[in-house]
Amino acid sequence: MSVRERYGHTTATNHDNHSGSKNMNELTEELKAKLIDILNLPDVTPNDFDEHAQLVGGELGIDSIDVLEMVVMVEKDYGIIINSQEVGEKVFSSLAALAHYIKENQPGSSS
Amino acid sequence: MKRVYIAGAGIISPLGRGLVATEKALRENRSAVRPLDLFPLVQGRPLPAGQVSGLDEPGPLPRTHRLACSAALQAVADFGKPPDALILGTTTGGILTTEQLLREQEQEKEPYRYHGLHTVAEYLARELACTGPVLTVSTACSSGAAAITLALEMLRSGRAKNILAGGVDSLCRLTYFGFHSLQLVDKGGCRPLDVQRRGMAVAEGAAMLLLTTEKPASPLAELAGAGLTCDAHHPAAPHPEGRGALLAMQAALSGAGLDPDDIDYINLHGTGTPENDLAEAKAVHSLFTPPPPVSSIKGATGHSLAAAGAIEAVVSAIAVAKGLMPANTGFQEPDPALDLVPLQEPANRPTHAVLSNSFGFGGNNGSLIITRPEKFPLPPDRRPGSGLAIFGCSCLTGAGDTGATMTGIRSGIPIAGTAPIDTISKDLPPGLIRRLKRLPRMALSLAVSAHKDSGLKQKPMSVFMGTGWGALSETYDFLTRLGESDEQFPSPTDFVGSVHNSPASQAAILFGATGANITTSGGDYSFEQALISADLLLRGTDKTALVLGADEGHATLSPLLDASISPATSLADGGGGLYLGRLREGSKCRVRVPFYQNGLTDDAVPALIDSLGGQRKLQKECALVLAGIPAATREKGERQLERFMDLSALPVPVVRYRQYTGEFTSASAVAAVMAASYLETGLVPGALVQGDDLILAGKQNKILVLGMGHGLSVMEFSRP
Repeated sequence: MSVRERYGHTTATNHDNHSGSKNMNELTEELKAKLIDILNLPDVTPNDFDEHAQLVGGELGIDSIDVLEMVVMVEKDYGIIINSQEVGEKVFSSLAALAHYIKENQPGSSS
Repeated sequence: MKRVYIAGAGIISPLGRGLVATEKALRENRSAVRPLDLFPLVQGRPLPAGQVSGLDEPGPLPRTHRLACSAALQAVADFGKPPDALILGTTTGGILTTEQLLREQEQEKEPYRYHGLHTVAEYLARELACTGPVLTVSTACSSGAAAITLALEMLRSGRAKNILAGGVDSLCRLTYFGFHSLQLVDKGGCRPLDVQRRGMAVAEGAAMLLLTTEKPASPLAELAGAGLTCDAHHPAAPHPEGRGALLAMQAALSGAGLDPDDIDYINLHGTGTPENDLAEAKAVHSLFTPPPPVSSIKGATGHSLAAAGAIEAVVSAIAVAKGLMPANTGFQEPDPALDLVPLQEPANRPTHAVLSNSFGFGGNNGSLIITRPEKFPLPPDRRPGSGLAIFGCSCLTGAGDTGATMTGIRSGIPIAGTAPIDTISKDLPPGLIRRLKRLPRMALSLAVSAHKDSGLKQKPMSVFMGTGWGALSETYDFLTRLGESDEQFPSPTDFVGSVHNSPASQAAILFGATGANITTSGGDYSFEQALISADLLLRGTDKTALVLGADEGHATLSPLLDASISPATSLADGGGGLYLGRLREGSKCRVRVPFYQNGLTDDAVPALIDSLGGQRKLQKECALVLAGIPAATREKGERQLERFMDLSALPVPVVRYRQYTGEFTSASAVAAVMAASYLETGLVPGALVQGDDLILAGKQNKILVLGMGHGLSVMEFSRP
């Protein structure tokens, strides 16, 4: 059983943060708050978090360990598994890209 | 310079138990990596792992201890006496047992008594009747190589003639799920150097070498050189160009007096992770043109973490003794990016010199060189060291930083307690510490303050740190989240932070300290062991180093793990840091550790007094005794102290410093900073000695910091 198979079937019901009903702005704001929290970003507020800025290796000092922490968050809170480096690089290029990926891959989303 | 022979060796790994079984498995080129079944998983299919078979399972002794004991008994089987010293590398200690106890919400202390890393080496010392120095090193996956390097230096310094040294780790949930959370485990089994490699297989095992400067009748091999370095680059990823790896290999060659051409075979670290193998290949190519035959045995054994360096030292000894270069099991397709094709079948060919690499988290690198006995001429000796000069110091206690602590003591205000997180993080860049919890913040704060206190621009080359319990917050948080998420969502950040050497590696990154980076975890003697390690590894260098000692008080774990802390004890923590070097000029004072032994023997106290120059000299020079007596060993400690005061007949004040600092394992680091600071100012505050201020004048210029209890140690501080 792959990791995806293992958790995939539970995602639609188990995740209270499920973003299917959220619009892009709400999801972006929600992700800003989450990243500031799980990555302990100092002196960053949702207001000055530029969703189009380079996320990994950018000014915030986000590195490979943070990426893994975000992978866990995306799986836990949105039921989406990112287990390839190629996908990861695309998804975590910016917060906007992350929001877009979540929106597109959300179980029950229309896309 | 003395030759260091490998007189005996013991090994237990997924390949089997003993030299014969190991050699046979290597000749068969078979992999022992298979799905884990050591502990049940809440869900999912077990990942491939390197698990030891057939280890008997009785009693409360954790698996790590039993693995170590198996290897140790083999290594000393033909040796008629106990070794003078024991140096062990481990990262897991009794954690596999502790994980289970925490899940069962065990509230009694007793079952946790084997949790500490130091308990493994101390258990071996008891079994083998070794009463000398017992050191525990924890530098992640280079621990085994680091332990063997320290043994080599201790033997060459003449402090011991025979040392049992090696490494051990057992499989446990922390490492199994931790490496998985970092996406470093290859679900298809481990394939080092292969273009398809996807990661490592977490494994377990133990190996011990009996090292001696007394030439045995038929030595297995010679330990010719060793080098330790630090990438000072990232907490978990290797330097992309293999910078530290290259420096470690160069240091080992130079220590052995050999050229790259002399090496017949390189036993690679080769974990099978894309990054490690690439960085290591680059380092190998920059030193060897062209490289000699190479292989990693981790496709066969998996990666046994702290044991790996020792296991591969034994395999390297087999290589030179039997003329066997092991194959790179699991390798199929070369990776053009590495340009390094390993041995695909075992090779039978005369092997005179082997280089064995071990790299670990925190960018800790260790390389060992193992040769045929007396095959190569000895390099010239390096000038011996005699103590270290202190240029700067700092401490943290419940009162706060050095200033607050010293003021508290002077004014008779209690300093024991746990300082607020903002106090211990003061002056540290927020971006640097955002992922760090209590212990690494304390370590960084101590490091920055000690360096600042020196007023020197020169940065440290090396970082040494003693910690009794390591990063308890990260360890606890990792295991808690693992349990609460039904083993689905372990935290990669907490895993990286949980390793004992994470604080020292953070300090190395901050200062760009690319020299040896050693974390010791010797219970109440952790700081003393860090100082001993610094003294050994700073031989023959003009460079400076930080020596730190720190422990965090953790509301749940400290009372369960530390025998000196009961639920009724108010939690205390903190530590101390020294910035030091060999050169005397401009120093505040000097420090040396002339005596440390683990066991209690009748002649221990007289031997300690002898190490300080004898009774008369002490009476002339010693002004103050700071005695460290942990609550758990109060009776033993008081008896030792009484004997010491009787035999030395010292008419000086004795301060039981834990009454001030509170109970925590590295309280002796605070006492060290007290001693250094009093020598600098020339005054011991009256409040500390229950009388008038004590003026340090004339020849009365020494302060002793004694460590009493399970063992006996002394740090001697003197004015230049």
